[in-house]
Amino acid sequence: MAEFALELQGLEKTYGAARAVDGIDLQVHTGEFLTLLGPSGCGKTTTLGLIAGFFPPTAGEIMLAGKPVAALPPFKRDIGVVFQDYALFPHMTVEQNVAFGLRMRRLPKAEIKTRVEEALSLVKLTGLGERKPLEMSGGQRQRVALARALVIRPTILLLDEPLSNLDLKLREDMRVEIARIQRKLGITTVFVTHDQGEALVMSDRIAVMNAGRIEQVGPPTDIYEHPASRFVAQFIGRMNFYQGRVMDDAGRIELVGGNVISGHDAQELAAGTTVHVAVRPERTRISKDMPAAGEAVMALKGRVSDVLFLGAAREVHVQYQDGRFGCVELPNNGAPVPVAAGDEVWMSADASCCHVLPA
Amino acid sequence: MSFLRVSPWSALKIAVGAVYAFMLTPILITAVVSLNATNRSLFPPQGLSLRWWGEAFSPEWVDPLIFSLKLSAVSAVLSPLMALPLTFALVRYTFPGRQALMALTLGPLLLPALVTGVALLQFFDFMGWRAWIGFPALVAGHVAICLPFAVRTIAISLTTLPPNLELAAASLGASKLRTLMEITLPYIKNGIVAGGVFAFIHSFTDINLSLFLVRPGEQPITVKIMGFLEYGFAPTLAAVSVITLVLPLILVLIVERLTGLGNFIYGGRGNG
Repeated sequence: MAEFALELQGLEKTYGAARAVDGIDLQVHTGEFLTLLGPSGCGKTTTLGLIAGFFPPTAGEIMLAGKPVAALPPFKRDIGVVFQDYALFPHMTVEQNVAFGLRMRRLPKAEIKTRVEEALSLVKLTGLGERKPLEMSGGQRQRVALARALVIRPTILLLDEPLSNLDLKLREDMRVEIARIQRKLGITTVFVTHDQGEALVMSDRIAVMNAGRIEQVGPPTDIYEHPASRFVAQFIGRMNFYQGRVMDDAGRIELVGGNVISGHDAQELAAGTTVHVAVRPERTRISKDMPAAGEAVMALKGRVSDVLFLGAAREVHVQYQDGRFGCVELPNNGAPVPVAAGDEVWMSADASCCHVLPA
Repeated sequence: MSFLRVSPWSALKIAVGAVYAFMLTPILITAVVSLNATNRSLFPPQGLSLRWWGEAFSPEWVDPLIFSLKLSAVSAVLSPLMALPLTFALVRYTFPGRQALMALTLGPLLLPALVTGVALLQFFDFMGWRAWIGFPALVAGHVAICLPFAVRTIAISLTTLPPNLELAAASLGASKLRTLMEITLPYIKNGIVAGGVFAFIHSFTDINLSLFLVRPGEQPITVKIMGFLEYGFAPTLAAVSVITLVLPLILVLIVERLTGLGNFIYGGRGNG
């Protein structure tokens, strides 16, 4: 078996002057669940279409199980696709929908029947094979689409924002359900979404895309804890950004309107460089008294503008002296809220929680 | 002043009723006139008799009627068949001359059929195809004037087809031909059938074009009626008119039942 189920090499797709996919290199391991995450228009769905073969790449190669497939039409690629709108065939029953791919492969009738039944039971739709797609709920259609893509036992499964048409509760159930099926079958999966929550919960690795390129690839914890760029930092989770300047070759940083910190996660920044210092709201502390400063703790003074009640937590918004805003997340753990709107406060965080990113 | 309190719905009902009365009353009168016992088309009829109906079923009238049915049936099959590849080209692809082809296809809708008829007659004459005047020329002309209807109905179906449906079929291993046969054509089936029905009706009721392309023994019922009118309006004509009206009506009802075409003609679910 090839080392990678899927490998993209210098993949490009341009429409006139627009570079929808602008040079992507990516390896997906066999059995891995990889998510392409990014805002709409970042090229993630185009990338998926290239892998599926719906249109040819402008440049680059696609290796599927070690074989180049960029020149092959989609029907020779052996790829299962679940579409955002499910794309079920409206004139066929559920059973006929699921059997379609097997019929195209000219399998014997008896085998088709068994495999369709297996697939329907896998997605918990046993007994609904006679229905037409239009007679089913959104969640059920989603399951039919999944069964139809899986029944052909494809080399790789592509999911194009399959949850975005479902309501919140159902979406959360289907996340778990898809992850369960994926792990049970061990099928290599590329999942496209703009929803970071889905990406964090479901993926083995996430590839964050922006403007046709991959900004960062890594496990969800890495992406969240060690964002490699300002784009990744602000796209995943919430983030406070501060301006800073590298003071010396040791990497000490002077925060604009704040103190000097060292011991952050940045490496090798030339003295004089302007940088962004990013800190998660849940890693930020708030106090009325000035924190015991020093270079191990960043500290900035500001005024509370708002306290928002979110249920499980409260969000305290603070305006700094330079006019910018930041926020702190306080868990709703029964402790009294230490600040109110209008209070003068100090925002602080351990330097080890500060991500220093090039400006 | 109670009429001031009449709801707008009653006004609409009255208007619709008036329209129906205006359309249906003449037909009812015609039907009743066909039962006259005298040889004059009187209303109310003088005496009751079925003799004109007997005459309407004589070969003099049945032959052109069957000729019309044959002609319309051929047009109803050929028009959607020709419209199918044409519509795919017009809807799916951009190519030089696409606008021109579109105008050419829809042209007969704007042109008086009379003009098309004269033009076709001259064309067949000029090409030395006099022998084809009659059924073959009529088929050619009728397909030309029915094509726009078929192109429209098929185009409507085709544009409502979600593009992902064909991509899904391809990803499941279906070649282009199998995708066309198993997904695309079944999806646009009602557009094709509707095109055929419109073509049938349009062809069956046409006289303007047909006038120029007939030959003795090969004339549709409309031309026959037109010719007969020169001698006056006998009750026979009333009976023939009713038959001519009822036949396509029955056909449309049958097709509607079989395919749920009502959805397509009157709107309803987009998948045709």
